[in-house]
Amino acid sequence: MKDNAPASARAVPRAINWNRLQDEKDLEVWNRLTVNFWLPEKVPLSNDVQSWATLTEEERQLTIRVFTGLTLLDTIQNSVGAPAMMPDCLTPHEESVLTNIAFMEAVHARSYSSIFSTLCSTREVDEAFRWSDENPHLQAKARAVLETYAPEADPLKRKIASVFLESFLFYSGFYLPMYWSSRAKLTNTADLIRLIIRDEAVHGYYIGYKFQRGLELESPERRQELKDYAFGLLFELYDIEARYTEELYDGIGLTEEVKAFLHYNANKALQNLGFEALFPPEAAEVNPAILAALSPDSENHDFFSGSGSSYVIGRAVATEDDDWDF
Amino acid sequence: MLDRMSETLDYHALNAMLNLYDDEGHIRFDADRMAARQYFLQHVNQNTVFFHSLDEKLDYLVEEGYYEAEVLEAYPRAFLQQIWDAAFKKKFRFPTFLGAFKYYTSYTLKTRDGKRFLERYEDRVVMVALALARGDQDLAMSFMEEILSGRFQPATPTFLNAGKKSRGELISCFLLRLEDNMESIGRGINSALQLSKRGGGVALMLTNIREHGAPIKGIENQSSGVIPIMKLLEDSFSYANQLGARQGAGAVYLNAHHPDILRFLDTKRENADEKIRIKTLSLGVVIPDVTFELAKRNEPMYLFSPHDVEKIYGVPFSEISVTEKYDEMVEDKRIRKTKINARSFFQTLAEIQFESGYPYIMFEDTVNRMNPIDGRITMSNLCSEILQVNEASEYNEDLSYARMGTDISCNLGSLNIAKSMDGRDLGATVEAAIRALTAVSEMSAIDSVPSIRKGNDESHAIGLGQMNLHGFLAREHIHYGSPEGVEFTSVYFATVAYHAIRASCALAKERGESFKGFAASDYASGVFFDKYTERDWLPESDRVAELFDGIALPSRADWAALKADVMEHGLYNRNLQAVPPTGSISYINNSTSSIHPIVSKIEIRKEGKIGRVYYPAAFMNNDNLEYYRDAYEIGPEALIETYAAATEHVDQGLSLTLFFPAEATTRDINRAQILAWKKGIKTIYYVRLRQTALEGTEVEGCVSCTL
Repeated sequence: MKDNAPASARAVPRAINWNRLQDEKDLEVWNRLTVNFWLPEKVPLSNDVQSWATLTEEERQLTIRVFTGLTLLDTIQNSVGAPAMMPDCLTPHEESVLTNIAFMEAVHARSYSSIFSTLCSTREVDEAFRWSDENPHLQAKARAVLETYAPEADPLKRKIASVFLESFLFYSGFYLPMYWSSRAKLTNTADLIRLIIRDEAVHGYYIGYKFQRGLELESPERRQELKDYAFGLLFELYDIEARYTEELYDGIGLTEEVKAFLHYNANKALQNLGFEALFPPEAAEVNPAILAALSPDSENHDFFSGSGSSYVIGRAVATEDDDWDF
Repeated sequence: MLDRMSETLDYHALNAMLNLYDDEGHIRFDADRMAARQYFLQHVNQNTVFFHSLDEKLDYLVEEGYYEAEVLEAYPRAFLQQIWDAAFKKKFRFPTFLGAFKYYTSYTLKTRDGKRFLERYEDRVVMVALALARGDQDLAMSFMEEILSGRFQPATPTFLNAGKKSRGELISCFLLRLEDNMESIGRGINSALQLSKRGGGVALMLTNIREHGAPIKGIENQSSGVIPIMKLLEDSFSYANQLGARQGAGAVYLNAHHPDILRFLDTKRENADEKIRIKTLSLGVVIPDVTFELAKRNEPMYLFSPHDVEKIYGVPFSEISVTEKYDEMVEDKRIRKTKINARSFFQTLAEIQFESGYPYIMFEDTVNRMNPIDGRITMSNLCSEILQVNEASEYNEDLSYARMGTDISCNLGSLNIAKSMDGRDLGATVEAAIRALTAVSEMSAIDSVPSIRKGNDESHAIGLGQMNLHGFLAREHIHYGSPEGVEFTSVYFATVAYHAIRASCALAKERGESFKGFAASDYASGVFFDKYTERDWLPESDRVAELFDGIALPSRADWAALKADVMEHGLYNRNLQAVPPTGSISYINNSTSSIHPIVSKIEIRKEGKIGRVYYPAAFMNNDNLEYYRDAYEIGPEALIETYAAATEHVDQGLSLTLFFPAEATTRDINRAQILAWKKGIKTIYYVRLRQTALEGTEVEGCVSCTL
């Protein structure tokens, strides 16, 4: 529901006026998302070619599979998730933010292909895409989220699923490049993933915020229903995710660590929705090397071998006469 | 808690705990120390090749072709035993994990399969000392003392390579001119490949290349300008990496009044087309004073065709002072020109710096005004601290030299300010450093690029740098950029300048030789010394006087005596000081980088070879955190103030990075550039931005993420 007349299919939307905000958060997030705009071409992925060659066959396969899994999630969010939430928007500015989110998800999905085309052979990539089409766990989690995105579904439930996707489901995949980067491998790929994480963190936070605003308008009974639904869905997704993680990471013995990371992010997703944590702190104790690897800011690198993940598009302001006082 | 964790965590995880506060909000320095310890226990000790005696070790390493036999043969065995014993007796320990990790991953000698270590830190230091001392036992002992104590640290190429049999060059960086003809461009690319293969960054000057659309052989619209050359260079550098040790790296410099300047900058745009996007090549812009004057008056700035300028003045564009000839060139109908708005040029510059950190800036007129050497400085290098004169070469059709000009090479090394001050004998430390750097120059002969070899042979140019300024000031409870901090910087650098010149004069006496062009320099005329004989450069405040207590500082009379000495005997080195950004070596040396403020209390360091590692600022503990405000908190003014005090006494340049929060605007960057130019800063290196996480999206308890 919008604040103006109920939208029929053919209603002409009102011209959006960014100088009349109903919710300051829309502008804040819009500004953040636009300065964070980036394209995969800026990251010198080819500097990882040598490092890629040092991975074992098994490690390479795992890495490609993880990235195809992430590609699928970004594709869903780009083509279904963000557009599905548009009719539910409370403000016109929220719609604009969602279009930005949708577009950046497409950039993310595109990025994985940049990684593939730089590092892998076509055969390896095709095999991994086939794997992702057929993997039951990956398909199950995609289906679980897609169900809530259906047109007739509950708008707030859509947001719940969307936050879980942005803040929870991605992370079983994000773990691996962060792990490699803490081991001095694929560090430029990790830079690119960190740019994606930078975006997803804002997406999950914003959608969660909008969920909380929506929830405030609901009756106590309905709030309880949504909360129950959220925890129910999280249990369901966690179950799938745990099996997905085992299948991927058992081979290199990282399953326990990845699960702790899942717990950490599940709590984070719930926090975005305004709910209390599910997993106790002991179960969500992430390897510090991974946790510390998540922060994109103020990284110091030698600029000749990478572009880093801290540059943004700046605000251009003309100088004035006083500035040239010399 | 920590004990429990250290049993289950490997050294990477322990090190990463530095970046996460403990439950009481304290930084876990102990975790990092434990990481360093575990790294030795779990990795280094288990993978080090063991020898029963020094003799056995040296014989093996020479026979197997790891060490250069000539280095060791210059000394009697008894002396070798003595210097090694002395080194190991010092009980060196790495205070941080990153220091140890960086040393063992990137510097130490390894078996050919790269799996086992053949050297400890002490071995590397002794080999560097022996190689540079070339048979002089006292000198070798003094080099070993200075390096192992941490007072003097040779730059990476020297520290990594000296004494090894199969190795790259000892020199840090190279600067090449390109002239406006295909022979020069082709040879330039070849030189870039050759130099990149041997180690060291390469910078090239593009100012003289004719612009996009300029005529070739009188036919209009033929030239494709500087961008395609940049593409060729970028690919060349990524092809030629240094035995896989590190990526080849290069920079290109262009004058602000070159017609391709906006195209040049646009290569770093976020949305630049793949065909023109430049990813890894660094950019630098040369800005004369007139550009600032035009912007001040809010006038357009004219860009001049280098092709026409060369035709009319008979010398390449880079040899003309744009400031001096600006009005004349504007009036001259024969020079084709375009115009852009000067203020929007500066704004564009800042926009690109926001998106990419580039370009570097060299203030052309400041640099040339402060240059004591006869000749013109037209460019800088990959780290914007090398500022030397060069000369164009001319080529025959078969690419041989019709007239060989000179190009620039520079070998660097830095003093750790805190350790050098602790040593209480700045004169001896500086002299040892100057002698070590001179040795690198004398031992180098880059035959693959004859103009580089010629430049080095004629100039023996070196660059003594400094690091750990912030660490030192903080340890002494002085804020970076405070009046005491700036005063200390001024006195310290004046003293270093004095001893550097003194040592170079002593070398001239010993060798009976000065650098080529000495007679035409401000040193020979004595003009250079005026500012030191006309006023004191001594401490004024009690606090700074206290810091220098017990350290001999040069008086005006000392400077006057040095002046007479130099005018009579000359100087061996044409250039003496240059302050590089010091990345890797400051980690090994447990320093804060260069004379910059720290970027973060806990610095996150990423590099291809070592991944993500966390580094605590030197001398920091949970009780003196207030003195470790980072560069973003300190702001550009205090930083520029500090650099201006140092610049006064440095004959070449200093890598100065500007730091801004992401909320800053292009106007803030422009204002800092104007201030820097006004204060006599010579070059600006990167612009760096920090974006704080949106509230609600930050990683909890992360040290480097909080302001």
